[in-house]
Amino acid sequence: MSTTNTNSGTPVPVFEVLDATYRYRDVTALDHLNLTVQAGRRLALLGANGSGKSTLLRILDGLCFPDEGTVRFCGKLLTEESIQNDGFGVDFRRRVGLVFQNPDAQLFSPTVFDEVAFGPLQLRWPPDQVRRKIAETLEMMEITHLKDRSPHHLSMGEKKRVALASVLVLDPEILLLDEPTAALDPRSASHMINFLVRAKGGDRTVVTTTHDLDIIEDIADDCLVFHEGRVEATGTPAQILGDAPLLKTSGLLHSHLHVHKSGEIHTHSHLHRHEH
Amino acid sequence: MPAKRSGTRGFLERSTSSFVDAMEHAFYAEQTARADGLLQRVDPRVKLVGILALVAAAAASRSFAVIAGLLAIAIALAALSHVSFRVLVNRVWVAVLLFTGVIALPAPFVTPGLVIWHLPLLGWDVTEQGLASAGYLVLRVETAATLCVLLVLTTPWNHVLKALRVLRVPAVLVTILGMTYRYLFLVLQSAHDMFESRRSRMIGELTGRERRRVAAASAGVLMSKTFDLSNEVYLAMESRGYRGDISVLDEFQIRNFDWVMLGAFALVSIAAFWLGR
Amino acid sequence: MHIPDGYLSPSTCAALYGAAAPFWYVALRKTRKLLLTRLVPLISVFAAFSFVIMMFNIPIPGGTTAHPLGAGIASIVLGPWASILTLSTALFIQAFFFGDGGITALGANCFNMAIVGSLVAWLVYRVVAGRSAITSSRRVVAAALGGYLAINGAALCAAIELGIQPHFFKSASGAPLYAPYPLNIAVPAIMIGHLTFAGLAELVVTGGIVAYLQRANPSLLRLTAPGVPLPQEETQQATMTGWRVARPLWTAVGLLMVLAPLGLLAAGKAWGEWSVHDFADPAARQQMAAASRNVAPPAAAPSGLERLSDIWTAPFPDYLPPFMRSAAFGYILSAIFGVGTIILLTLLASWIALKVRPGLDHAPASTKES
Repeated sequence: MSTTNTNSGTPVPVFEVLDATYRYRDVTALDHLNLTVQAGRRLALLGANGSGKSTLLRILDGLCFPDEGTVRFCGKLLTEESIQNDGFGVDFRRRVGLVFQNPDAQLFSPTVFDEVAFGPLQLRWPPDQVRRKIAETLEMMEITHLKDRSPHHLSMGEKKRVALASVLVLDPEILLLDEPTAALDPRSASHMINFLVRAKGGDRTVVTTTHDLDIIEDIADDCLVFHEGRVEATGTPAQILGDAPLLKTSGLLHSHLHVHKSGEIHTHSHLHRHEH
Repeated sequence: MPAKRSGTRGFLERSTSSFVDAMEHAFYAEQTARADGLLQRVDPRVKLVGILALVAAAAASRSFAVIAGLLAIAIALAALSHVSFRVLVNRVWVAVLLFTGVIALPAPFVTPGLVIWHLPLLGWDVTEQGLASAGYLVLRVETAATLCVLLVLTTPWNHVLKALRVLRVPAVLVTILGMTYRYLFLVLQSAHDMFESRRSRMIGELTGRERRRVAAASAGVLMSKTFDLSNEVYLAMESRGYRGDISVLDEFQIRNFDWVMLGAFALVSIAAFWLGR
Repeated sequence: MHIPDGYLSPSTCAALYGAAAPFWYVALRKTRKLLLTRLVPLISVFAAFSFVIMMFNIPIPGGTTAHPLGAGIASIVLGPWASILTLSTALFIQAFFFGDGGITALGANCFNMAIVGSLVAWLVYRVVAGRSAITSSRRVVAAALGGYLAINGAALCAAIELGIQPHFFKSASGAPLYAPYPLNIAVPAIMIGHLTFAGLAELVVTGGIVAYLQRANPSLLRLTAPGVPLPQEETQQATMTGWRVARPLWTAVGLLMVLAPLGLLAAGKAWGEWSVHDFADPAARQQMAAASRNVAPPAAAPSGLERLSDIWTAPFPDYLPPFMRSAAFGYILSAIFGVGTIILLTLLASWIALKVRPGLDHAPASTKES
């Protein structure tokens, strides 16, 4: 059961979602969804708000489980029971890290230091290793000076960096990012992208949800467009960005009225892309 | 209470100003806790135990002189720890007098005992025992409140938490306290923003019933948000390996200076207990 | 109702810590079993909510506002045991961080508000609501009544704890060492404020939140209504009537409000519990005159008195020392002249302090007026 396609020479995918359906109250967040994430790839999940992409990330992180269908992590079934199992659960939590969209939910400790220490302490690392690893991570994310601050007093950009640090400190092989640039001003956002590009390091697998088309070429090798709980399209960032009708139907591209200097009013689409 | 006709804006405004007050209090406390004063340098465990011992001594004492002495020590500690006198007056003493002072006022007239004076015009009797009891109450409350505020104003909250941890308070309770304080400000901010936006949209007066509905619905909205938040926090904890047992880093070191201060606290409180029997 | 340090003798405090301890122990064990890993985030975030809800100003009939305690709603949504932990946490932070309620008296405050409050609210809610549907208006009434009785149960405990102090703790000369008023003064003085203002605020908040949740988020009400199915459709309509059906309750409580002080008057009003209206009420004036050795009180409340009671309910003391918002309002009124003097003296003192030590003036307190 735990080995599906190890014998064929193709590597076992990190995640394999088969025919998953998930309902939340009256909303169908995932609708018979299929998805495969290969090791070492960077995948962007594109979709408008409420398209079910955050739910999908939580399912990949073993925080909630589909009503129908299956999820496999490195060939092993991911279920409520399997994650309760000490051996598998601890291993899974160490290897997979999720950065939440809302940093206020993710930063629950009294100080930044305690926040970054939380994960390593839960995984029972020895205290010396915990301290060393925290110092490294704070340095890498350029937040050492915030060490004793309360998360409450940080700016949005700082909060997002601390949230990322609190996950990176565990050196996860698989990094799940929920809207890493949402609610950031352009400068903090590009700062964040730099960290994300650097955090890629080695052959880490990264799954990012976003509705920000500006960043996908920097952070992804593959894209997957999400609409109403289903996969609408897959392709490289260039392919997806070139398909305006697709982006429009999935709510990623918008058109609105414009008043031009001549006084003429007309509608045209916008693809916001800033040059750097 | 007299029916003060507070308008629709009235109750929103008052709630909002309560929120702002609490945030300001916390802000000021965090500032003084970072100052370089005597108490700020003491190990939080020593400080917590020491100040609690002084509060207990003040509560137990039957002697005015001993309580007054403890108050003097508290004031001296405040001065040495960069806690401004003005803050003590405004935030502690006036507040205490306005409440406890007022509560104590009738005591001289209603407590049976030796009559020492007749109030002119009204002709009420003032008893010695009554005066003494009012004095005990006010002095004791002032002293305890001053000592307690010193603890808060000179100790960052996370140090208080760690001190509790070292003092064998279960980790789960310490974590709850830390997280409550952390989210207190988020919920405060959220309530504040909600009331502000309500206020800006409010045109005209609401009836009393509508006002009550607005207040209760605001509380309900806040509560629903609270639940969603707690659920997300839970997932965030679980995602990073939380399985119900908290483990923490304890990293305080007791230095000679702390032993000296511990000795001083012990000496003063034992003396106060003994003298105030 | 937050009792500060110095009102209760150390032995009373110790006894109440002792009385609270088994409840805390059971509450921690029960909630750990029930909530498992959810315990920490749920209790923490909800404690933060409870703290904030205590700072709400709830408009009550008559035009004034009062602060609720929130014990009722916590108990109804979380169940009594988790509610005990939640409120105790909130009270701990209030005591340690905001100086609201004493540290030595924390056991007493937790016993009264967190433990007695939660258990009374839960019991009343369960009994009155019975097996009615989640969105039934009966639940609104049950919640409102539960909240009202919870805060009054808590106040009664506090009043008794305060009232026994002069009976047991006296100096050699017979002067009370702690709270000076005996039971026959302390109980009515505290209960009047709670049977009326504080109780009404609690009633409005508890009933109101339940009515709101029935409409917006009925799943939150499921925990303390085991075996009652969650309906799908009729939610909207139920809450519309929820408030209307609650009217008889309002009337009942209104009557109670009127009758409670009268009942206490009949029993002989303790000195100093007059409210501003009493100055205009002939019966009360007679009582006052009798109590004041037949010196007739002025026909109208002194204007200074009215202004002071305004200060009392107005922005400034609303949160800062919030324990003063609930207990013993009567004393304020009786003690008016002295208070004026105290205020003047303290203003003078802080003015002198300012003159003497201007360099230390970096407190944010001064920004509050702006």
